[in-house]
Amino acid sequence: MFISVDAAACMGHGRCYSVAADLLSDDEQGFVAQSGQTLRIPGDLLDQAREAADACPEGAISIVEEHPDR
Amino acid sequence: MTETKQGCPFSHTDYGADTEIHGHYALLDAEREASRFRFNDTTERGFWMLQRYDDVVEGFQRHDVWTTRARSAINPDSGMALLPQDLNGEAHLKMRRVINPFFAPAAVKRMEAMAHERCIELIEELRPKGGCDFVAEFAIRYPTDLFLALLGLPVSDGDFFLPWSETLFAGFFGGDPDAAAAAKRKITDYFDAAVNERRANPRDPKQDMVSRLIEARIDGEPISQEDILTVCMTLMLAGLDTTRSALGYIFTHLARDDADRRTIIDRPDLGPAAAEEFLRMYPLVFQAGREVRAAGEFHGIDMAEGDVVWLGIGSANRDPRKFPEPDRFVIGRKGGNQHLAFGAGPHRCLGMHLARLELAVVLKEWHERIPHYRIKEGTRLVERGGQLTLATLPLEWEV
Ligand code: SF4
Repeated sequence: MFISVDAAACMGHGRCYSVAADLLSDDEQGFVAQSGQTLRIPGDLLDQAREAADACPEGAISIVEEHPDR
Repeated sequence: MTETKQGCPFSHTDYGADTEIHGHYALLDAEREASRFRFNDTTERGFWMLQRYDDVVEGFQRHDVWTTRARSAINPDSGMALLPQDLNGEAHLKMRRVINPFFAPAAVKRMEAMAHERCIELIEELRPKGGCDFVAEFAIRYPTDLFLALLGLPVSDGDFFLPWSETLFAGFFGGDPDAAAAAKRKITDYFDAAVNERRANPRDPKQDMVSRLIEARIDGEPISQEDILTVCMTLMLAGLDTTRSALGYIFTHLARDDADRRTIIDRPDLGPAAAEEFLRMYPLVFQAGREVRAAGEFHGIDMAEGDVVWLGIGSANRDPRKFPEPDRFVIGRKGGNQHLAFGAGPHRCLGMHLARLELAVVLKEWHERIPHYRIKEGTRLVERGGQLTLATLPLEWEV
C-alpha cells in the first residue's frame, strides 16, 4: 500500500502529520513535508496512514494499492 | 407556499442577533435539515447559504473565483482592512509564506512552556477567590498575553492593551463606533511604535515576527509600514476574541457535564483530542463569506458576479451526514479533525496550531488546580450573534 499527498490540495492544516507522526512530517511553513510524493507504507503503519487520510479536510491524502508510476 | 429563489427557500433568520446560548446552532441545524441551500434576505446584499459539509468544503475550494472580497456573508462590506485575508491567489500565497513559519507547529512548540507558565499564573491568581467571571477574568486575558509574547511585546502591556481591543470588538457588534475608532487608533499607534523600535533594533527574523515582517521582501519589495500594522491588527482581531469564545463554550459544557469533566480530570493526556472535538461542536466563527467574482453554477444555482456566498461552518461541523450524532461530545471520533472550525482552503486559519495549544493547555492546567466548578445559579447565558461569544460566564468553586 502507498500513501500519496496531492501537493496542490495540501493547504497546511497539519492534521495528517499530527496523527501520523511516524510516517509524515511538517516543513517550516506547516505544510506536509511529503507533499507531492507517493510513499510505500510500512505494514505496521497502515492504521496511521488511514488516520492521516481521514484527518485531512482538503482530501489531499489518498491510500492506493499501486504506485501510480508503475 | 414557501417563496423560493431559483428553487432555494428563503431564510429570514438574522444571524447577527443575540440569542440564548446554543441558540445559533439550533437555528443552523434546523435550516440545514429543511433544505440543502437557502437564500437569506436579512442583509442588504443577501447571501446564498451553503450548509452541508460537502458543499461547504467545496465552497472553500472554489477560491479561484469566490474571493474574500466579502469575508463575512453577514457583513460583506466591513470596510476594515485585514491581511493576509484580503489578498487572494498568488498575492495571498506570497504573504502567507512570510507569516506561516511563525504559526507552524515548530514555532508554536517554542511557545509551549510560556503558555503553561502564564496559564498557571492566571489560574493561581483566581483560585483563592472561589469564583470569577471566566470570560472577563481568564478567557480573554490568557490569549492576550500570549499574543503580545508572540509579537515580542511585553506581556505587562496587556493591562492597557486589553481594554482597547475590547472596545474595538464591541464596535463590530453594535457598540459605540466613535469609541471603537479611538481604540483602533490607539492600537495602531502602539503597533507603530513597536515596529519602529524593531526597525531601530532588529532581532533575529527567524524568531521575531515583527523583525521578519520588516526584513521580508515580496517580489523584491519590502512590506509597507501600513501593511505591517494591518497584519498585526489582523492577528489580534483573529486570535483574541475567538480563543476567549471557545473557552467560554468549553467551560460551560464541562461545568454542566460531570462525566465529561471527569474524563478531562482523569486523563489530562486527552486534552488535545478533547479540544479538537470541542472545536467541532462549538465553532465560534459559524460562517465565512465569499464574493462571486466570476458568474457560474453551483449544484443547480446560477450565481452572478457580485453575489455573496455563506460558507456555513457551524452547519457543516454539526452535519449528521458527516458527523453522526453531532450533538454528542465524542473524543477521538472518526474523521473528527476534518471539522471546519478553522475554515479550509488557502485562507484557513493561520493561528490554528496556536489555538489548539492554548485550549489544550487550559484544559490541563485548570482541571489540575480547579477540577470542580459550577455556573453561578440563576445565570442566563447569552451568546452574541455574528461571531459567537458569551457575554459572561460566572463560575464558582470551593476553596
Ligand atoms: S492535513 Fe492535508 S492539508 Fe493539512 S498538511 Fe496534511 S495534507 Fe496538507
